[in-house]
Amino acid sequence: MKKFFAIALALVMVLGLCACTVTETPKSTDAPKATNAPDANVTQAPETPAAQDVDISLWTYPIGEWGKQETVDALIASFNEVYPNIHVTVEYLTYQDGDDKVNTAIEGNAAPDLIMEGPERLVANWGAKGKMVDLSDLWTADSKADMYASVEAACKAASGAYYEYPLCMTAHCMAINKDVFVETGAWQYVDEATHTWTTENFFKAVQCLYDAGYKNVGAVFCGGQGGDQGTRALINNLYGGTYTNAEHTAYTANSPENIKALEALVAQDGINFDASIVGSDEINLFVQGQLQMAFCWNIAQETNNADALTFDVFPMAFPSPNATDVQLCGGIWGFGVFDNGDAAKIEAAKTFIKWACDEEPEQCAKASTYWSTRQSLANMYEGDEMKTEYGMFMQYLGDYYQVVAGWANARTEWWNMLQRIGSGGDVTAEVETFVTNANAAAAG
Amino acid sequence: MANKNITISKKTRRLMIHETVSSYLFMLPFLLFFVGFVLYPMFMCVFTSFFDATMGRDDIFVGFGNYKALFQDKVFWRALWNTLIIVIVSVPVTCVFSLWVASAISKMPVAATSAFRCIFYLPVVTGSVAVTMVWKWMFNNYYGIFNYIGTATGLIENNINWLGDERYALGCIILILLTTSVGQPIVLYVSALDNVDKSLVEAAEVDGATQLQAFWKIKWPQMMPTTLYILVITTINSFQCFALIQLLTSGGPNNSTMTIMYYIYYNAFKLYKYGYGNAMGVILAVIIAILSAIQFKAGQEK
Repeated sequence: MKKFFAIALALVMVLGLCACTVTETPKSTDAPKATNAPDANVTQAPETPAAQDVDISLWTYPIGEWGKQETVDALIASFNEVYPNIHVTVEYLTYQDGDDKVNTAIEGNAAPDLIMEGPERLVANWGAKGKMVDLSDLWTADSKADMYASVEAACKAASGAYYEYPLCMTAHCMAINKDVFVETGAWQYVDEATHTWTTENFFKAVQCLYDAGYKNVGAVFCGGQGGDQGTRALINNLYGGTYTNAEHTAYTANSPENIKALEALVAQDGINFDASIVGSDEINLFVQGQLQMAFCWNIAQETNNADALTFDVFPMAFPSPNATDVQLCGGIWGFGVFDNGDAAKIEAAKTFIKWACDEEPEQCAKASTYWSTRQSLANMYEGDEMKTEYGMFMQYLGDYYQVVAGWANARTEWWNMLQRIGSGGDVTAEVETFVTNANAAAAG
Repeated sequence: MANKNITISKKTRRLMIHETVSSYLFMLPFLLFFVGFVLYPMFMCVFTSFFDATMGRDDIFVGFGNYKALFQDKVFWRALWNTLIIVIVSVPVTCVFSLWVASAISKMPVAATSAFRCIFYLPVVTGSVAVTMVWKWMFNNYYGIFNYIGTATGLIENNINWLGDERYALGCIILILLTTSVGQPIVLYVSALDNVDKSLVEAAEVDGATQLQAFWKIKWPQMMPTTLYILVITTINSFQCFALIQLLTSGGPNNSTMTIMYYIYYNAFKLYKYGYGNAMGVILAVIIAILSAIQFKAGQEK
């Protein structure tokens, strides 16, 4: 009996291993290749979505309510009313560990079929590494005509391939505690009508709050990369600096404008270079009233924290020399398709994208709480006071430089640079170190 | 000589072969698991450390290039230094403190001993993320309880950015590590003290030995295997300190809390330098192996 069980066990193990081997996923050579001609190299003709049941996986970062299960479930239910044979399973990622999960999945040949994020990951990272499917066929003449030009440019790789089909966008801004500003007299430095301020007025306002006893006015958070668009926008805008050159081929944070901005922030009372917090911590501290301004803000922060806020939040553009010459960092989110070598799944994923972005763009963009990337839907929030207030920042959207090469390295270099500066490092030397390391990463 | 003349019947030989084969077959499931999930990854770690391996392109053989680059990497040396500080401070403190607590509570009534064992073991069974987040709140620069108590009692004038100031950050990490590390050694030491031969201790006391002499000459040698085990696991845990760093400081400020484990993760999963990260992993494994061997050797000599 013992012998029988031993042999049976061994057989099960060996057969199990064989089974694992034969069910290995097909190699990517079967998959459509990146090309400008739509699906030109598809070797395995995809069946129409209606013809067969297809299971696809969607991984989504927390882009507004696309990070909430009940919202996404409702959207998928709407999708399945039209396409009942495409079954979408969703995994919700966070910005803390989402990249690790995706990268691990890519390395293990288990990447999702569909992913929702922005060009810095879809185009500049995974797209550039050949992991994504070219979505050129989705970019029809009609859709190109309707999209904002800057959005199309951000979704397109240098090779000409489109690795993202966009759904929604927003402009990242900052926010101030209006109650405290009014109480201390710092409100006089704010242009209430345009939600802007000059660099000079910004520093006057911070000093005013500090002198009134608010020792922690704002924090240049640098505990990690989370929310770093806020610190980049603050530093770049103060004296008109840039993060990269116009061609997005080199980092330019060592410009005199950026050095001046960093030196001014280091010298300013009430502004702390805080290596113990990241963007999400800064938002919490602002919501709790510990900080009087947040550099990592957009409309989603106000809606998500509506219950916790006990003061009037006033969203602001970042300070710039002339107030209205501000260049805000944008977020452009949409879908990308991983090249997993299964033409039917790729086709089903594209069908989902077409439904979300072309057939139901308003419903799906509203689910993100942001704005549509389509000019035809510019007024989709008409009558909504908060949306109108935040919507005015869209006119200040600046260059979408996040598609620059070496982005992942540059992000880590950025907060490390801020930590060194905050600890007393020489600003000029530290920005040089940043630019040298970031450009080296960009060079490959 | 007599054994040589023993003849084994065919039936016995067949039975012996069958038993041997059966034994190996019973071991097969674990061996497959061990080979697939332990040996193979270890081999791949060493193998990949000789390549410039990253995502999106074929690996490039670089020989010892990654190791050479490591020794020129200032952050690696800083990470190694920080890791050694953590080990040097936390291992002896954990051992001494847990032995002291175990000695104190083992003399108490059974119910009290059990209660204290539970209390000290709680941080071990509580989720490390939850524990770390509580510490993060306590150390918070703006509303943390340490700053509150410090300023309220006049010990400090202004709030201290415990985790954001390189003078304090590593100390805070070590303190948290200690609180989560002492639970298991305390439980082990309480058991070891219970197993000490009481008749020997009583005999020594009758012969006039002091408590210290009885401890040092009788109890301590009998607890040596437990101490050795605690030393080894505490050393390995300290070397592999990762979650605390990941959740609290990301290695900052200015790499002041960067450890080898976190630097491996940072290179492999943030910068996608898998080969470089694996080279560091190999070096860490070698260091831990050498230290463990030294500890075992020292323990055996005692």
